[in-house]
Amino acid sequence: MLAHRTLSFVAAGLLAGYAAGAQTPAAAPPAATLSGQELLLGTLVGLIVLLLLVLVLTGTAIVVKMKPQLRQLYDLPTVHDTWSGQVLGLLVGDARLVRGEYRDELLDHDYDGIHEFDNDLPPWWKWGFAFTVVFAIGYVGYYHVMRTGQLQGAEYAAEMQQAALFVPVGGDDPNQVTTYAALTAPTDLSSGKSIFATNCAPCHGANAEGKVGPNLTDEFWLHGGNVNNVYKTIKFGVNGKGMVAWKGKLSGKQMLQVASYALSLQGSKPANPKAPQGEKEAAGKPVAKL
Amino acid sequence: MQAELESPATRPRPTALPLPARGVESFFYDNKIVRDFGIATVIWGIIGMLVGVIIAFELARPELNVTRYTTFGRLRPLHTNAVIFAFVGNGIFTGVYYSLQRLCRARMFSDVLSKIHFWGWQLIIVSAVITLPLGYTSSKEYAELEWPIDIAITVIWVVFGWNMFGTIARRRERHLYVAIWFYIATFITVAVLHIVNSMALPVSFMKSYSMYAGVQDALVQWWYGHNAVAFFLTTPYLGLMYYFLPKAAERPVYSYRLSIIHFWALIFIYIWAGPHHLLYTALPDWAQSLGVAFSIMLIAPSWGGMINGLLTLRGAWDRVRTEPVLKFFVVAITAYGMATFEGPMLALKNVNAIAHFTDWIVAHVHVGALGWNGFLTFGMLYWLWPRLYRTPLFSKKLANTHFWLGTLGILFYALPLYWAGFTQGLMWKQFNSEGMLQYPNFLETVLQIVPMYYLRGVGGLLYLSGVFLMMYNLYQTAKAGTLLANEPAQAPALLPEAQDPHAQGGHWHRWIERRPVQLSIGATVAIAIGGAVEMVPTFLVKSNVPTIAAVHPYRPLELQGRDLYIKEGCSNCHTQMVRPFRSETERYGEYSKAGEFVYDRPFLWGSKRTGPDLHRVGAKYPNSWHYNHMMDPTSMSPGSIMPAYPWLFDNQLDNSTLPAKIRVLQKLGTPYPAGFDRLAVADAQAQARSVAAALKTEDIDVKSDREIVALIAYLQRLGTDIKVKPEQATATAAAQ
Repeated sequence: MLAHRTLSFVAAGLLAGYAAGAQTPAAAPPAATLSGQELLLGTLVGLIVLLLLVLVLTGTAIVVKMKPQLRQLYDLPTVHDTWSGQVLGLLVGDARLVRGEYRDELLDHDYDGIHEFDNDLPPWWKWGFAFTVVFAIGYVGYYHVMRTGQLQGAEYAAEMQQAALFVPVGGDDPNQVTTYAALTAPTDLSSGKSIFATNCAPCHGANAEGKVGPNLTDEFWLHGGNVNNVYKTIKFGVNGKGMVAWKGKLSGKQMLQVASYALSLQGSKPANPKAPQGEKEAAGKPVAKL
Repeated sequence: MQAELESPATRPRPTALPLPARGVESFFYDNKIVRDFGIATVIWGIIGMLVGVIIAFELARPELNVTRYTTFGRLRPLHTNAVIFAFVGNGIFTGVYYSLQRLCRARMFSDVLSKIHFWGWQLIIVSAVITLPLGYTSSKEYAELEWPIDIAITVIWVVFGWNMFGTIARRRERHLYVAIWFYIATFITVAVLHIVNSMALPVSFMKSYSMYAGVQDALVQWWYGHNAVAFFLTTPYLGLMYYFLPKAAERPVYSYRLSIIHFWALIFIYIWAGPHHLLYTALPDWAQSLGVAFSIMLIAPSWGGMINGLLTLRGAWDRVRTEPVLKFFVVAITAYGMATFEGPMLALKNVNAIAHFTDWIVAHVHVGALGWNGFLTFGMLYWLWPRLYRTPLFSKKLANTHFWLGTLGILFYALPLYWAGFTQGLMWKQFNSEGMLQYPNFLETVLQIVPMYYLRGVGGLLYLSGVFLMMYNLYQTAKAGTLLANEPAQAPALLPEAQDPHAQGGHWHRWIERRPVQLSIGATVAIAIGGAVEMVPTFLVKSNVPTIAAVHPYRPLELQGRDLYIKEGCSNCHTQMVRPFRSETERYGEYSKAGEFVYDRPFLWGSKRTGPDLHRVGAKYPNSWHYNHMMDPTSMSPGSIMPAYPWLFDNQLDNSTLPAKIRVLQKLGTPYPAGFDRLAVADAQAQARSVAAALKTEDIDVKSDREIVALIAYLQRLGTDIKVKPEQATATAAAQ
């Protein structure tokens, strides 16, 4: 994964690098305290960076100071046309090495008055092309010859494995009964109400009177009217009958809030109620009896 | 004498023709056909862009989807077809008919063929304008037109090629200029792409099923789709650039050698890159990787065209400031350079993971379409009109205004969509600290970007208003002058090759430039390799599409619902491809497997998620949810920007072609039992009755013969074959 990122980073520059970064799961492991060894390494790297910086600055200063002399050197016929001479050219502001030479010699081509120069391929273009070819070969080799890179199946498996570290595994068994008590605090009920309005109202009606989904205000329940049954129905949904599983979309607390809110509507007798469905059952029985 | 006439030593700047001598022939260039194609370019450009503006605002305000014929799903293919094949297509022919005659020093091969080509092409577009809003579509992007029109396109394209090669055969210029290489590659490749991708068996006059299914159909479609961009929007326009840019700038082309390398590299590499439209899908990994690798290698060949254009302007930059034609060309070439760098970056998997299915891609293609194709066309027309009508351009000032309106239009179009795409792509992937999707409600990510949809519409309006200015300007120019329908020209006839000193030696590439047949063969080989390497194994090697025993063919009613899904253009906004990302499997369910699509003709993976993915929508909601949602999407998803489809509730399902559909699918290999075509209608009706009965239990009364019932049956089937069935789940639970 890391290697893949590095590889792409080289090619795509900042854009790709940023994208790869954005794929990293949001949660970060707790920061470990620095060991002595790491401190030493950090200092060394810092020193090297500093030294390089000084070197570059000194070099720049020398080039700026000595530009006239360098220019003279560059203009010498023995220097001018050599490869090292062209590197020198970069320092004195002649980018011939990168952009190539404009010889501008006309070929004997003439098409309806259009002529063509016989100019070289710009070196930056030529080498850039070569680089992409090497990259492409490396890319296919990395994934399909050496098989070092993770293809999408493996990448997905790794992503899920990583996510499992952050998301508690427990409580994901639909048959495991929870022992929550319905929440009654006004703040919980009002959060429940707003969750209900955005997520549940389209199917169960704004007042839980039932539309596509059943009426939640009567005493009839398809999948149990106890808060823990309601919680389970919300969390895992009812496959094939249209109740969506909200696991992963609402947090455990939010699901309990909305379950509690729904149960608080028992007996509210909204307008246009949907006909009863399921078993008659008094909701909100004390949890202890479960 | 002959040799001397042609020698550059005697005429280094042959702007004035030498006096007629022995062997010099007089003839006329056909300007009228160029003018006709030019007018068609402008008119179709305005129509295509107007449709674009309309659908842009339909996304922002769903109530603008007023009739069944003008919903986003039906108009979007009309927009893409109109701007690609009508606007750019006529633009290509305008430029090719003008430049080819002059580069060959010959009149077009046949005036009759020119006329057939012109009127045939316009008729094809008119038929698209009629059939697409009526819902006759194959649903394959940029190839939506149904089979009779596909055949007409093939015929007219051959007429174009015949006329072009006829002209080349009668040329009075020994060597073919680089523009003509690009024209030849365009002709050959578009023919191959169109024929292979459109292969289908007809069911009825306006309905057919693709010869390919699922993954294979996807691969063929994006081999086509990507190279429609390459060989309809790029190579012909590079040819036009190589003619009109040096003409307008009056400067020699920067480098002949660069032309050679970038031409061959471009056509060879481009064809491989199609799979980058299918990254992280059920396409086999090796094909995806080839798509990525070749996309990266495309940067330099594409930029070869850009730098050969921009460096040709050396010594003419002072004129760029004053000459609108050159301004348009400079922005066009720059936009080409930007889009062809961005494309390979988008082909990197980690960038693609964010950008794919979002408006980022829409922004990307419009930089190419509005900038490169649009601006090159405008520059070309502004250059051509004064020459065709023998009078100066009516108003340079208006042309300059057009230039600025267009440039602003591009910025206002692209920047909001980049923002929208990036925002939405990240929102889809965002998890909160509890390990849950931050934005589990898809609609939330849509509502976030609706303001950007408005801004983009404004950008489109700006751009379109510039085109109106151009139309007025060209009209006034034409009025002020007179069309030189037949332009006199003179050129010496070609000597037989053996006697022509010009036909010997020179640069090694000169050999093939003298031989159109060999050049065409070379180009054919170059473009055939990539497609063959990717397609043949995907079709022949079984392991590329692992079969899944639980996946069965659609029941007849579901098939009918699927055809309605195609007709209404649902795949323009909804994908059916859950990618293997945690953010997608959490949102939609299990990621999509290649074996699930083996009966999908055509495949319906889609390329843009304006609405959520639908591959796992089956059995997720009750039937009544879909019923209410199709009647009024906002009733089930408050704030939804999806249009309502009330006619599905009135229309009776047409089962008359159902037996023929079953027979065609059987021929294509779908394992329906023998004689099933005779039972199909009864089976469809039985399933419809059971769906209607199920709806009845949810208090909804619907006649079982309505279209909506079939659509619900299809939606409830989607992606359920590999799901654990509810009965099974209950059984397991009971057993515990």
